[in-house]
Amino acid sequence: MSQRHLLALFNDFDEAVAAIAELRGANIKGFDIDDLILKSPIEHPEVEKVLGDKPVNVQWFTLIGACMGGLLAFFLVASAQANFFSQIKGGKPIVPLPPDFVLTYEMFILGGVFITILGFLICAGLPAKRSPLYSAKVSEDQIGILVQGDESAVAIFKTIFTKHKALEIQEEAGK
Amino acid sequence: MSITNLLENWSDFRQQHPSDDRPHREYKWAMSIDLDSCTGCNACSVACYAENNLPVVGKEKFAHGHSHHWIRIERYWDNDGREFADQGAQFLPMLCQHCESAPCETVCPVGATNHTADGLNSQVYNRCVGSRYCNANCPYKARYFNWYDYPTTDNVWPEPMNQQLNPDVTVRGKGVMEKCTFCVQRLTVAKSNARSAGRSVLDGEVQTACQQVCPTGAISFGNLVDPLAKVGKQWMKQQVELNKDKQAKDAEEKAAKLRGYRILEGLRTYPSVMYLEQLRESAI
Amino acid sequence: MGKDIREDIAWAQINKDVLKSLESPRRMYWIILFIAIAMIGVAVGSEVYQYQTGMGVSNKNNSHVWGLYIATFIFWIGMSHSGTLLSAILHLMHADWRKPIYRFAEAMTTFSLMTAGLFVLVHLGRLWMVYYVMPYPNERWVWPNFQSPLVWDMFAIATYLSSSVLFLYVGMIPDLAICRDNIHAGWRKKLYTVMSLGWEGTDRQWRNFRITYLTIACFLIPLAVSVHSIVASDFAMSNMPGWHVTSFPPYFVAGALYSGCAAIITLFIILRYVFKFEEYMTLPIMKKLVRLTFAIAMVWTYLNLIEFASVWYGHDQTAKDQLIFKATGPYAPFFWAMIFFGSILPLMLAFKRFQTHLPILFVVSILLNVGMWLERWMIIAPSFAHGHYPWTWDHDQWPSLVQWGIVFGSFGWFTLLFMVFCKVFPSVSMYEVKEMVYHRSLALKHKPAVKGDY
Repeated sequence: MSQRHLLALFNDFDEAVAAIAELRGANIKGFDIDDLILKSPIEHPEVEKVLGDKPVNVQWFTLIGACMGGLLAFFLVASAQANFFSQIKGGKPIVPLPPDFVLTYEMFILGGVFITILGFLICAGLPAKRSPLYSAKVSEDQIGILVQGDESAVAIFKTIFTKHKALEIQEEAGK
Repeated sequence: MSITNLLENWSDFRQQHPSDDRPHREYKWAMSIDLDSCTGCNACSVACYAENNLPVVGKEKFAHGHSHHWIRIERYWDNDGREFADQGAQFLPMLCQHCESAPCETVCPVGATNHTADGLNSQVYNRCVGSRYCNANCPYKARYFNWYDYPTTDNVWPEPMNQQLNPDVTVRGKGVMEKCTFCVQRLTVAKSNARSAGRSVLDGEVQTACQQVCPTGAISFGNLVDPLAKVGKQWMKQQVELNKDKQAKDAEEKAAKLRGYRILEGLRTYPSVMYLEQLRESAI
Repeated sequence: MGKDIREDIAWAQINKDVLKSLESPRRMYWIILFIAIAMIGVAVGSEVYQYQTGMGVSNKNNSHVWGLYIATFIFWIGMSHSGTLLSAILHLMHADWRKPIYRFAEAMTTFSLMTAGLFVLVHLGRLWMVYYVMPYPNERWVWPNFQSPLVWDMFAIATYLSSSVLFLYVGMIPDLAICRDNIHAGWRKKLYTVMSLGWEGTDRQWRNFRITYLTIACFLIPLAVSVHSIVASDFAMSNMPGWHVTSFPPYFVAGALYSGCAAIITLFIILRYVFKFEEYMTLPIMKKLVRLTFAIAMVWTYLNLIEFASVWYGHDQTAKDQLIFKATGPYAPFFWAMIFFGSILPLMLAFKRFQTHLPILFVVSILLNVGMWLERWMIIAPSFAHGHYPWTWDHDQWPSLVQWGIVFGSFGWFTLLFMVFCKVFPSVSMYEVKEMVYHRSLALKHKPAVKGDY
């Protein structure tokens, strides 16, 4: 059975949430609630109530990145001093700890920020190709719900969306 | 490898300076200048210009403060409310103090100035990027910056003056910092000769240019590690210790009889130049 | 006093209003751009002359080795602090009023850092050897001196610049997607398509976006504080009287926030007027901003007085002489001007009637920044004219036109970058203004009887 994509646009966030709740309850062939994608112009943290908790893993990238940055900085700086600076400077030890901590601190942050961004791109799947069904209205003021199901389910989707005052329903061209 | 080296020799890399635990082994070059003998004749300054290829910047640039006098004679007038000072000016030749714990060294971003094994404060011209932070942090302001490209400037070394440039010393281009080296080119030769002969440099074997020309013999220079050196004896006699930021003798009553002191000692720079002068309560 | 933003603005209207600011510029824009480029030309000319001839043409001299370059460097670094730091702090505190103003403030951060970076280059005696400062691997094992505060500066500024550019960029991705969806032709279309990374506002994207933005905000706060503390260390770590002050790092951070806030006020007024952003950059937001500036001005004043007091009652006679020299010597007019612009003038901001009076605020905010520039100059110049050693005393030096030219040109450079930014990227965050409107309408829905101000 071939899969079909449907994108419904809603004006009101609460209606969209209600539609999702109904989709979750309904038993539709070939449809999995985890495949449902909500597209919104602003961030709606409340959506997790209906979509269920999904794990966010960016913070692990942050932790690893920051620690790597800090360690790298300290060992780079300290071993560079130990190997090149056989000469004392200003009477201070060849590997002076306070300045090295300053640099460790900076590199801790640098590593943290860079790897967080990397983690964001990986976790959010960016950069991505545009999905086949997208409406510029989503970046303006409407909520979009993208669902995937069997060809036979299209009618049921449409009924549910229409019931919740969907403004527009886009359908993927049949393949 | 580097990290192994770091971990194995950790205690070496953590040593501080100056320290009694790890004194200078072979050489510690130091100087003493007897201000009571100094007549302010400027011969030392002239000798330094000749020896170290210092550019003669001319009247106009001198007035702008762009001069290079690695040793400069400062004049102090103590008028004490009278029209003229009773004793005339007092003179003080100021040069790089070759501090054991030099403020200029820590701040250089590229590591162009370092403490050498024989106790000098070195300056690596090729490495210098000209941030001038060392000068800003030098309490003695004994460092001089090449504000212009003097080797290519007219009348700095006009013909045939360029023939007298010292071949042992580089000519510095624009944008680098320079300062007194204790005539390091002479020290290197002396050390090399001594090493060939299988001994250390003897006292008096090497002289700095300023010491050599001083008509009153006010400047003595030598190796502080050498127990026979005149400079070491002077330091000992004046009870000035290299590794102290406050000399014990200053706290004592009889201190007045001892003439030795180091400039701005309280800043903990541990200078290698000791000045000798009878301190007076003005001129009464 | 009214609401930060009207809750009944249509979201489509927000897009329309902001996207309008990206339309083809008018004639005045090109004129100002041309003036900015001409100003840069002055700086480039001065720098080429200085590069060819030597640092002497800037009329610095031995003992007086730093000048306007370092003072202006600190000024620009300081200005860069408000954007990112305020944006991050207010984001963590869920202060919604930051949303319409943070984008241009962060852009200001980025561009003033880029300006500050140039001053380091201009300051160096051997610019062509600047790469010596960077820790790059080489076969001779020659490294920079990691003990030097200047190398810390290099690390800190590199970290801060790249992090704030990323912060600005990440926060802009949803807006770039809006631009992509609404602009359909030319190089802009390509630019926005590439830069928005295929953002579609899916729940997965928003979820990761939220945590990423929050994390970077958390990193940026200590980072921004450390950056200016490190710049302060350039001075506090040295032994010059007047610089060797323990309270310098907080003093610098306060000064930085201060001049940054004043600059935000200036740009706020300009953008509000030019782009007709009255609906978004509202007077109540301005009022909050002005109050914040006033508070920071008082913190700065306090830290300034603390510094004087600790020098005055301390045992360091040289530092005390140096303070007296500042207040009575040849630099006295500038010193007192700094006190006036920095501490007296902001008292005006305490009065309600001035807090939303835009023409007065415009002039005052510029004067505050003049005061802050003077502060930096008063840190640099007098210290060289009255150091530990008598040889430096009464050694004043007036910067040459080369120095002034480069300082002048730096403002043109900043203007150029900022103006180009405003025309290429949305200077008001559209999606966050929508969030603000949404939060407000939610609040109204739950508590219909809510009254005016809160």
